[in-house]
Amino acid sequence: MREITLDELRTADGREGRPAWIGYGGRVYDVTGSFLWKGGVHEARHAAGRDLTAELEDAPHGVEFVERFPMVGRLITKGGST
Amino acid sequence: MAKVAREMVERAGVNVDQLLELLVKNAAAELTTYYYYTILRVNLIGLDGEGIKEIAEVARIEDRNHFEALVPRIYELGGKLPNCMKEFHDTSACPPANLPKGPRDIKAMLQTLVEAERCAVRGYTHICNLTAGKDHRTYDLALAILNEEIEHESWFSEFLGEGPSGHFMRHGETSPFVSKFLK
Repeated sequence: MREITLDELRTADGREGRPAWIGYGGRVYDVTGSFLWKGGVHEARHAAGRDLTAELEDAPHGVEFVERFPMVGRLITKGGST
Repeated sequence: MAKVAREMVERAGVNVDQLLELLVKNAAAELTTYYYYTILRVNLIGLDGEGIKEIAEVARIEDRNHFEALVPRIYELGGKLPNCMKEFHDTSACPPANLPKGPRDIKAMLQTLVEAERCAVRGYTHICNLTAGKDHRTYDLALAILNEEIEHESWFSEFLGEGPSGHFMRHGETSPFVSKFLK
């Protein structure tokens, strides 16, 4: 599985035509084609290009809404995978 | 703009600009749903479709009422609707409730309807969570809309065989919860 650093994730912010990726639970998902992630922002609060694991705890939906998107790879930090 | 009203909400710790964006997105969802439900309702025909047409119509009218009820609050807080209708459509908090490819597939129609309502239930639950105890007027409005969206979801869910809704459909006037904001 492809390994993606936080720096690489940050570049996929969904703005100016760039792909929109989000991190969740140590994995990276591609939300580029989603109607609900236009411009790399979801529900005015959540930005693509970041690890949203903590933010999902307050969301009015579960992880199944993240897992329906294509997985791009595994999110790694300096010390290894998250 | 209701200057002091906005100030009170800000002082309570609500990010008003972010809240306004959410209110506009949900207003867009309501108006676009009203539009897409019009097409769905027109296509609910035949022995199976006719049985669902009336609740689809009630949900359609009530979603338009939700749009009407949201607009004053948006302007009170200093927000506004986009000038461009296309931009407004594309900012919607929920995906378009498009007519399924098989427009005589009643189950697919019901799935579209119930998914739209579920998106709305999530959205207003989120707004209630953000405003509870902080922005009383927006909370009251979002809660009223949420009550109706939950009923819509349960109606369509019942037709999908997921279990009883627990109540009858409307008799008489629409929007029993939101009507106080429309007077």
